[in-house]
Amino acid sequence: MGHNDKLIAGFAALAITIHLLESALPSPVPGIKPGLANLVTLYVLIRHGWSLAANVTLIRVIAASLLLGSFLSPTFAMSLAGAIASLTILGVAWHFPGKPFGPVGLSILAAMAHISAQVVTAYLLFIPHDSLFTLLPILLTAALISGTLGGILVSKILERVDSITNT
Amino acid sequence: MSRSSFTALFTTADKLLFLVSLSLIVFSYVYFWQTSPASYAIVKSGQQDSRLINLNESKIHQVEGRLGISKLEVKDGQIRFISSACKNKICIQSGWHQHGGAVTACLPNRVSVQLGRQTSQTDYDAIIF
Repeated sequence: MGHNDKLIAGFAALAITIHLLESALPSPVPGIKPGLANLVTLYVLIRHGWSLAANVTLIRVIAASLLLGSFLSPTFAMSLAGAIASLTILGVAWHFPGKPFGPVGLSILAAMAHISAQVVTAYLLFIPHDSLFTLLPILLTAALISGTLGGILVSKILERVDSITNT
Repeated sequence: MSRSSFTALFTTADKLLFLVSLSLIVFSYVYFWQTSPASYAIVKSGQQDSRLINLNESKIHQVEGRLGISKLEVKDGQIRFISSACKNKICIQSGWHQHGGAVTACLPNRVSVQLGRQTSQTDYDAIIF
């Protein structure tokens, strides 16, 4: 087992735990949740690169769905679509020349891509009705708020981890 | 948290991205929440084929439902139930409808009215587990 495998396993375990805890939180509007499990993706991306972040995220989505009993259900399809979309945009933004985006920017991009992909997936596969898009503005607003807060949290976590490892 | 350390969390690109996202969201509210008057309505019933009603042509339409006849009045781009063979007359009390996307129905009589653009023809309404 290589060093990277251990990192992936450890972070995936953390992400799965957060994902499970978060799925127990009630939500005011279907589709809105804080996206705390994505903070792990963001942290791993910044510290260990995109390929590790993609591994951790995909393992989290599949393992959490097996534990929740939603594997291959619409919930799983939505979760996977969101994860793939946010990983794709994170890959592009992370390798952008000059690395202009900080944790907050990356987090906002991931959150917006995540929710947009989920709405499109829901429309194409499960609820083929135009009225579905009435929800989109509310979901995008929630994504901007949770993305910004998530990015700030990751910045703080990075600072804390640095101050611990440097002493 | 001091103000300077808070703004230090955002790079220039982050701030730009935040503003672009914000304007995108404002645009999405304007775009997806606009109510435009409908020009026609799709009337469906269990008893007969669904039909398209032109809302610009004032007329009273008769629809055959499970219990009997429902009458729909069209006037000035609006539509309402004026009589129906149901018990509670909720369909009549719901009044005039004119916005695209609005839906009204007489459930006991199995007659539904959908205003506005025709949604893509699919085999099902929704899938849930």
